[in-house]
Amino acid sequence: MADFPLAVNLQGDYGYKVIVVDDQNTISEVIQTCIDQIVGVFVAPFPEGAVLRARVHGAEVPLANNLKVSDANFIQMEALQVYVEQAQ
Amino acid sequence: MALLKMEEWYDLARETNWTPGYVSSEELYPKPMSNNFDIPLEKWEAFDEPYKSTYRDYVSAQRDKDVGAYSVKAALARADFFKNASPHWKALLALHFSAVCWAEFHSASAFARMTRFSQSPGMRNMATFGTLDEIRHGQIQIYFAYEFLKHDAVFDWCHKSSKTENWIIISLRHALDDIAHTRDATSAAIMLNMGLELAFTNLQFVALSADAAKCGDHSFATMLQSIQTDEARHAQIGEPIVRIMVENGKKKEAQQLVEIAFWRMWKQFSALSGIGMDYYTPLEHRENSLKDFMEEWVIGQFGRTVEALGLDLPWYWDILKEDISSFHHANQIGVYAYRATEWWRPIAGTSPAEREWLEEKYPGWNETYGKCWDVISENIRNGDYEKTVPAPPPLICNMCGLEVIGTAGDQWNAVNHHVDIEDRRYHFCSEPCKWIFEIEPERYKGHKSIIDRVFDGTIGPEPDDFYNYMGQTEAERGTDGYNYRWVDGYDDEEEGKKKYGTG
Repeated sequence: MADFPLAVNLQGDYGYKVIVVDDQNTISEVIQTCIDQIVGVFVAPFPEGAVLRARVHGAEVPLANNLKVSDANFIQMEALQVYVEQAQ
Repeated sequence: MALLKMEEWYDLARETNWTPGYVSSEELYPKPMSNNFDIPLEKWEAFDEPYKSTYRDYVSAQRDKDVGAYSVKAALARADFFKNASPHWKALLALHFSAVCWAEFHSASAFARMTRFSQSPGMRNMATFGTLDEIRHGQIQIYFAYEFLKHDAVFDWCHKSSKTENWIIISLRHALDDIAHTRDATSAAIMLNMGLELAFTNLQFVALSADAAKCGDHSFATMLQSIQTDEARHAQIGEPIVRIMVENGKKKEAQQLVEIAFWRMWKQFSALSGIGMDYYTPLEHRENSLKDFMEEWVIGQFGRTVEALGLDLPWYWDILKEDISSFHHANQIGVYAYRATEWWRPIAGTSPAEREWLEEKYPGWNETYGKCWDVISENIRNGDYEKTVPAPPPLICNMCGLEVIGTAGDQWNAVNHHVDIEDRRYHFCSEPCKWIFEIEPERYKGHKSIIDRVFDGTIGPEPDDFYNYMGQTEAERGTDGYNYRWVDGYDDEEEGKKKYGTG
């Protein structure tokens, strides 16, 4: 278990923020950390039922929610976007 | 009384040059300090500056300027202007003086390098006056700011800031070190004179001077105008150099120097002048927005100057046209939210009336950056002040040293550019910042942003470690300039009692 800094841009926020997660955290937990630290500070709460996903900046597909940070092949300060998944 | 008229001897004096006899030309003008770009000396000797002055005329003119500026200051000294000024204007004065004073004084070093190492005698002459100008600019601004020290200790940062590791100062110092203080005389002249002075000083010294006069701060307005007359003269050094470079097959080199310097200084001025003009200038005294001014003076006038010299418009010109409507708005959110990391008292500048102005000048502002301010404002209305202070730090661009930002709110668009070198991720706010890095990664890769220093252990883990590293005692950490009394409009009755001028 080790600290791992990630640069995240939550949907609606004006820029990237650096959050520190545990490298054993899953992507779901990373998303939650992002929500906890930025929603209600720079971004209004998302509508009920909104599903948030994370993807590496520039990627088309989201990261799997159960993927661990240590298994994701991230570089320190990897840039992630956390966004509301559009309903299919 | 002079025996000869100036026009009878001036060209002889300014063109006098000699072939060194005790050392070689290469020893007298070593390339790292001088750099002739392999252009023959006789081509450099064709340097022809538009504004010509003798030392005698220079001293006389500068004395008159100083008498003008200092006498206005003395006449207004008893007006207690600062005590009666709004928190808006106080924030603007604190930001200007603490960022600009030392930057001007440091520029004297760059001009002195041009004085000693320019290939052209005419340029050495002009750079001599430029050196004296910058010493003057450092001193006059420190002197004017000193008056405010008895009212507000924040003006201690006019002297102190350059010696700190505050994140804003790291950003500005890195930019100026890059373009002016670590380049040969020829390159520094092009970058400083064209990329900074010709391009941007009108923004901070002419536009701001007009706003200052409207606010009744005639002392500041006169000082700025006085400084700008010097800038207009010594900034002309860059143009003849660019002409010589273009005419002698070095257009590509000149182009790149202008492009690097312009973008680096755009980022600095977008923060300094952008926030100053669009948020800190009191609404009733605002006329032009940053965008208005940039479109006329920089995208228009400077763009035409660049092309007239035989260069092309910078490759990122379309990116710039977008940036003037976005970058400083995002930065202002961060400057306000992370206000404790600044040494002055930041202003939100987003009361309802101010938001209307911003929407008028930047259509779509309320649906983008305004959405972040909606959240901040709501927290303040609810008394949740701690929620206006974010926990996570911002990501900082590894070139300009400012936040990596995009578009907020309903048009959310995350922007990130990066380069990986030796297992280290370098982030950039824009393509041009990344492009500058990639031109010479060896030159830039060793520098660490304030955030890099947090995560590599340079800065300790406790909150006080961060502020101590940046040179801020507890008393020097910024707070809301209005103590949150702006959300639903300013307290007109109370603010109305404050006068802006001599009254």
